[in-house]
Amino acid sequence: MSKVKSFAGGTHPPGNKGLASGSAVVTIPAPGEVTVSLCQHLGAPSKPVVKPGDPVTRGMVIGEQNGFISLPTHSPVKGKVLRVENAPMPHMRSGPAVVIATESEEGGNVYEPMDKWENAEPSELIQRIKEAGVCGMGGASFPTYVKLSPPRGTTIDTLIINGVECEPYLTADHRLMLERTGDLIVGMKIIAHVLGVQEPCIGIEVNKPDAIELLEKKGVKVVPLKVQYPQGAEKQLIDAATGREVPAGGLPLNVGVVVQNVGTCVAVADAVLRGMPSIRRITTVSGRGVARPGNFDVCVGTPVSALIEAAGGYTGQVQRLISGGPMMGMAMYTDAAPVTKGTSGILALSPEEVRDVEEGPCIRCGKCVDVCPLRLCPSIIANASEYEKWEDAEKAGALNCMACGTCSYVCPAGRYLVHRIKRAQNEIRAMKRAREA
Amino acid sequence: MAENRTFDLAVSPHVGSSQNTKRIMWDVVIALVPALIAAFWFFGPRALMLVGASVLAAVVTEWLCLKFMKRPVNFAFDGSAVVTGILLAYNVPPGVPWWLPVLGSAFAIAVAKQAFGGLGHNIVNPALLGRAFLVASFPVLMTAGWVAPMEWKDGQRLDVQACGVSTADLSQSGELDALSGATPLNVLKQTFDWDGDGERAGQVRTMLYSTASLKNLFTGRIGGCIGETSALMLILGAAYLIFRGVLELRLPLSYLGSVALFGWLFGGQGWFDGNPLFHLLAGGVILGGFFMITDMVTTPVTKKGRLIFGIGAGLLTMVIRRWGGYPEGCSYSILLMNLATPLIDRYTRPVMFGEVKKNG
Repeated sequence: MSKVKSFAGGTHPPGNKGLASGSAVVTIPAPGEVTVSLCQHLGAPSKPVVKPGDPVTRGMVIGEQNGFISLPTHSPVKGKVLRVENAPMPHMRSGPAVVIATESEEGGNVYEPMDKWENAEPSELIQRIKEAGVCGMGGASFPTYVKLSPPRGTTIDTLIINGVECEPYLTADHRLMLERTGDLIVGMKIIAHVLGVQEPCIGIEVNKPDAIELLEKKGVKVVPLKVQYPQGAEKQLIDAATGREVPAGGLPLNVGVVVQNVGTCVAVADAVLRGMPSIRRITTVSGRGVARPGNFDVCVGTPVSALIEAAGGYTGQVQRLISGGPMMGMAMYTDAAPVTKGTSGILALSPEEVRDVEEGPCIRCGKCVDVCPLRLCPSIIANASEYEKWEDAEKAGALNCMACGTCSYVCPAGRYLVHRIKRAQNEIRAMKRAREA
Repeated sequence: MAENRTFDLAVSPHVGSSQNTKRIMWDVVIALVPALIAAFWFFGPRALMLVGASVLAAVVTEWLCLKFMKRPVNFAFDGSAVVTGILLAYNVPPGVPWWLPVLGSAFAIAVAKQAFGGLGHNIVNPALLGRAFLVASFPVLMTAGWVAPMEWKDGQRLDVQACGVSTADLSQSGELDALSGATPLNVLKQTFDWDGDGERAGQVRTMLYSTASLKNLFTGRIGGCIGETSALMLILGAAYLIFRGVLELRLPLSYLGSVALFGWLFGGQGWFDGNPLFHLLAGGVILGGFFMITDMVTTPVTKKGRLIFGIGAGLLTMVIRRWGGYPEGCSYSILLMNLATPLIDRYTRPVMFGEVKKNG
């Protein structure tokens, strides 16, 4: 193994990965009714092209791409459209969705398999990745095809595959690296081919030695990374792996880098090799609030309640239900919300696991400043935000914050730093829009 | 699933470290206990009484202020008032009447802390402002209440004087009457003023810097404020704080390093003639360096800022010790730097990630 790398700052929350990391991925059959969100990707929601009563086949487009930063949405099952409505979503609010009564999970390979992808033009592959609705599977769900189409004049010399999975509890990417290694490597090669990158590498935290060993044995260049949150954040990963700093307000492509999640690679392989649109994902169900934590291969639209059931149901008191990891995930008020392409995990946390402290005054200990991976002064931004001094917050760099939660995690006063900084970001952006209008 | 559960909504992150304000404050209290034991050993039960009175006054004042301002009174029990009470008492001579630390504590809490908005909002270290208030208001009590170590047990038959030099050595040199009851820094200050008698000054300083005397300074067998004398016990407490992850070392190390450097540079009669070890161990530098300068509220939040703060406070301490009107400058140096904290924070803001491109 080569030298273990890292970034500056960050913290070390207990991993709690052991709850689920040993459980092989279990495939769950589609439930009787699936709720397919039309806004599973970042950007404009897909435009629904079906209406109640319409029969749908598996893999059929039910929502059209609606703009540049947008993607089509496909039906994960064969069945009949019941409703097109606003449904509860994992991200705290409701959103447009197509509810389908499931008949079967047959078919789905709606596109022509491209066995000879090595000979294909990058544009053909980008087209396929776009029509298959592939978006980033790490959580942010940014349309993948956009990331693979850098503006004219930019050179991409580095492709980093993100297998870090630095969020505690989550083990879906870990299992995926172990169990779908072949597809992962092919997907990685396809993306490298599209970008014209010679030797892609994959960043993995050293708490997954089996994955590192397996991939190295298959000839993949692995960058072993220190277990340190947020090692998997795009900018931190690039810093650790290449020593390049993405400019503030800029994108990885500004330093010649593209980062793709391991799950995205597998989705790309599915789309290119099998002509299969992005309608499934591997997700972790964990936390001490479920009986049998594990990893599950589910179709999007499966309600969270079905996943919890597959994990043995709730056990004891569940204080919080989270979509994603405990550091950046969203709390959900109901388990009726469906799994989306970006659902990296579902956590049912017991009261002992959740930090529930009364917020006290800032004691200016500076811990947030010490740990901020983006070298911001979170307490200063948050204090400005508390007094609604948006200009001050902006000057202090509020817009650079990626809400990784490290500052709130270490804050001894239990201050809602991330919450306040996010509020400042919203206000600053609104102000900017108003100024432009 | 049939049951319709709902779950509480909250913003991320959903997990957090076990560190909290209360734990930090009580850890500091625990870390101050060894010095209390030393105070009891060297200055007798009276020292305990003064500390107890001071703590009680601090907590009661905090409670009354919160009650008066209709704020949650449980803040009075978060440990921060206890810390202020202890530190204030540690900064008065052991021979003062009981009401002096009580008054000092009440002032520290009511004026220096609560008047500015309570925990987290005070501009200067409350205990130090309380001490400054006492020095200004009761200069005689605050500069004459020195008690020689073990005096409470041995009465007048002392083998070590308040300045840390043995009684035998002092009488042999004929200085016993002139220097009895003075603290090490007091004695040093006096030697600076003996302009016409360089030989005498040199002789006395040699006694102060002797290994035996430095050993007394280290263990705390000297005269001084209640909690400041025993470097050994204070360092023991600091080690506990480091172990608990409470103490950030930039402030203590930069301060102590700065005191040692400038102490050597101009802490003696001439240049490059000071004794750095003496300056570190005498007076309140160890107490100040580990327990006063590390007050998070009144010091910079940036790493670089903490270094600047510590170096500045060390320089000011030594300037006051050498040329100021007081023999000891520790508390004023920290108070002065406290006032500079917002400025330091402003100019030491870290360069944001990606603000300056490393690769074009």
